[in-house]
Amino acid sequence: MALALENVSKHFGSLVAIRNLSLSFDVGSIYSIIGPNGAGKSTVVNMIAGSYSVTSGTIRLGATALNRLPKHRIAQLGVSRTYQNLRLFDGMTVLENLEVCFFPQSWLTFLTGAKRLSKAERLDICHACLAEFHLSDVADVLAGDLPYGRQKILELARAFVTQAPIVLLDEPAAGLNHTETKDMAAMIAGLKREDRAIILVEHDMDMVMSISDRIDVLNYGELLCSGTPDLVRTNERVQEAYLGTTEELDDIRKLAQSRRAQGGLRANAGIVRH
Amino acid sequence: MFDYFLQQLIFALAIGAIYGLIALGYTMVYGVMRLINFAHGEFFMLGPYIYTFLFSGLLGLGGLAPVLDSAIAIVASFVIVGLLGVAIERFAYRPLRAYGRLAPMLSALGMSIVLQSAVRVTVGPQPVHFPAIVESTPIDALGGMVTTVQLGILAAAVLLMVGLTLFVNGTRLGIWIRAASESWTTSSLLGIRVNRAVSLVFFIGPGLGAMAGIMYASYYGIMQPTMGSVIGLKAFTAAILGGIGSIPGAMLGGFLLGAIEVFGTAFLPILSFGYIGTEYRDVFAFAVLILVLLFKPAGLLGETVSEETTVAKKDY
Amino acid sequence: MGNSVIVRRLGLLAVLALCVVLLALVPYLPSYYVRVADSILVYIILAVGLNLVVGYAGLLDLGFIAFYAVGAYAYALLASGQFDIHLPFIVVLFIGAAAGAIAGVLLGFPVLKLRGDYLAIVTLSFGEIIRIAINNADDLTNGPQGIAGLDRASLFGLPLTSPVHFYWLLLVLTVIVCAGVYYMERSILGKAWRALREDQDVVRGLGINTTTLKLLAFALSAAIGGAGGVIFGAFQRFVSPESFTFQESLLVVLIIIIGGVGNIVGVIAGAVVLVILPEILHFAAQYRLLIYGVVLVTVIVLRPGGLVSPRFNLGFIIRKVRTLWLSPSKT
Repeated sequence: MALALENVSKHFGSLVAIRNLSLSFDVGSIYSIIGPNGAGKSTVVNMIAGSYSVTSGTIRLGATALNRLPKHRIAQLGVSRTYQNLRLFDGMTVLENLEVCFFPQSWLTFLTGAKRLSKAERLDICHACLAEFHLSDVADVLAGDLPYGRQKILELARAFVTQAPIVLLDEPAAGLNHTETKDMAAMIAGLKREDRAIILVEHDMDMVMSISDRIDVLNYGELLCSGTPDLVRTNERVQEAYLGTTEELDDIRKLAQSRRAQGGLRANAGIVRH
Repeated sequence: MFDYFLQQLIFALAIGAIYGLIALGYTMVYGVMRLINFAHGEFFMLGPYIYTFLFSGLLGLGGLAPVLDSAIAIVASFVIVGLLGVAIERFAYRPLRAYGRLAPMLSALGMSIVLQSAVRVTVGPQPVHFPAIVESTPIDALGGMVTTVQLGILAAAVLLMVGLTLFVNGTRLGIWIRAASESWTTSSLLGIRVNRAVSLVFFIGPGLGAMAGIMYASYYGIMQPTMGSVIGLKAFTAAILGGIGSIPGAMLGGFLLGAIEVFGTAFLPILSFGYIGTEYRDVFAFAVLILVLLFKPAGLLGETVSEETTVAKKDY
Repeated sequence: MGNSVIVRRLGLLAVLALCVVLLALVPYLPSYYVRVADSILVYIILAVGLNLVVGYAGLLDLGFIAFYAVGAYAYALLASGQFDIHLPFIVVLFIGAAAGAIAGVLLGFPVLKLRGDYLAIVTLSFGEIIRIAINNADDLTNGPQGIAGLDRASLFGLPLTSPVHFYWLLLVLTVIVCAGVYYMERSILGKAWRALREDQDVVRGLGINTTTLKLLAFALSAAIGGAGGVIFGAFQRFVSPESFTFQESLLVVLIIIIGGVGNIVGVIAGAVVLVILPEILHFAAQYRLLIYGVVLVTVIVLRPGGLVSPRFNLGFIIRKVRTLWLSPSKT
């Protein structure tokens, strides 16, 4: 068991965002956390990464408790992440965006050079990473000048370049078109490795269903269902959470059709597409 | 002892009221634009200078009772300094809105230097006598000495603060200002002319600062080009103390800082056995500022920084 | 190799030789001009130092002059009759830099978590507090009168008395500081600082302790300031609180703003402009501050990135030179 959430709760003032959540993640698999908007998915990622504090419960990496550590310590222990709203260093080149990840992480390494990569070694790793993500041709382009799709890939590359054992991906397909999403899904699936756990937060169901080993469904801060894609797809409670109960659906259909009579509403409006 | 205390209290309230008026300018601008207007202290300095110029001019023209001349000069000073504030925002701050927070702050710094130097170059660096508005007669209050000027300042300041509060809470323009402080984008989407709110804030804030300057100058009887710098910093401290962005906070902060400064420096020589003297009075304000920023940056009534905002991109 | 390559390379060498000759000729100008050159070099060193904090780490330090004062008074106290201590110049130089660095860390530590505008105000207050403290600590610093009759400096036996001596010293130091900062900029540390300026939260997420990064920038820039102060003390042989006002901090900030934040070449240009300008306009000395203010506002509003484009920095020049030198002849 590499990463574990034990009875974790998160309160924002009086709002309970996460309620007694327990999850465990192991290296070698790809996990997805899904749920309707506001279910708390990003909150979970932010708590693991240390951006949010944990109101109660513990987050453990191996034997170490993460929730009281500062953000950079958590990252040093092996947790890397991407950001939902794309946070690259726009004024630095693509190569430099990766190079920064290799900043010596303690005074000891900085001063003694032990465990420290030489500039050549560092550049080798970064160039190899660029090749892996098909970004070699834009190595010296400023990150802010890249098209959106490639920026998303760079953000992804940055999370993987240090070979961190826990990788958190916060909506990697956000804003991508259908083709780009499929490419992204293939890329992430190809990054699966024995010594790393990839945890995805996503809305795009095609991607989630196709690459995940396990899917955790959250709703109103609680775990609704957890299992393989097939299991989750057919789970009634999940369907209810996303699509509403059948009674609700009938009501919505009636409403849509009555409005349609008044003019201009498409027949399929009211059925929620996931 | 009590009469000494009362005397100091009235003094603290008067100086606190002045700090509060200036602090209001800082806080309103910050609330709407998240900008610390470094140049604000200079509006405080400009007030008495412009008043003196107008007053002597009107007096020279004759025809009106001096009291009327004085009143007209006061109102005109408010308006002139207010318009200057609007102009400065329009030309020195507005073009920089897209450039983060560093650029407008530097522009404000530059503006502050320009205003101060302009006055110094035109009128000269030496202190100049300020014509008294009201004759300063001492009043015996429960044994202590209090002057009419002090009471006048207190009364006028309180009136202005009450007026501002009523304006901001009651009128439509006031609501614009409050809405713009809460959320710029939402306000514009709702059809509020946010730029108008900003200009309004830059009219009222500097205007109030000018009034405070006139009060200060009438209390001490002199004015000089450098009076805006230190007082400006102190008033800024008051705004921070009360919670920047909060109008009642600025007023509260002003009185509080006045009290800390007056009572602190009064007792400092006693507490330190004469080693630290009253010349360290200015250091007091700086020390308060640093302490507040370190331990309670939101101030007393300010917006509490939520966790969501602490994962912000950069410092500025 | 074609003719054009030889011509091009000779051209580059000629330009280099011209620069060297011009710099070497300065000592032969009248003393006044040498002093101006000295002044320019000191401000270049200070501005490059402050640039570490403002340009690279993105923290607006408005009290920079405090470190300069620390260095100057270090020399005043350790190489004069004040306490009858007479340490050699080079020793005080290192002590001054170290003292500056310590002051930088002491200041930096509590203020680092402050937001940009608050940081600016607090550092400004700090600068003023130092000046007021120096002004009032009569027993230690002679208060407003300052300390005079500081020792003549000497370096490895050679006395440093005239502006010409200091010119060479400053020139060497300027080259060292600029080269050092340039290599630091290109190193992983420089990249981390640039990333810090862009998005400090993400930098934390990469496992980098941003507090250490910021403190390092503070300490280094303060050390440079302190060293500059020692030289100032040795040069003037007199220090007083008057030399360390907020205006001086402002001037250094102005140089950086005009030159373009984070750009060594720009900083050099800015220093030249801002030191020469008041000399040219010395008949309008009382307008000096006014002009500074107007310049600041105008430059910021019209060209917020600085007068010198950020692309036009030392790296750019070096690359250009290298390309010109190495590119094959055109047929």
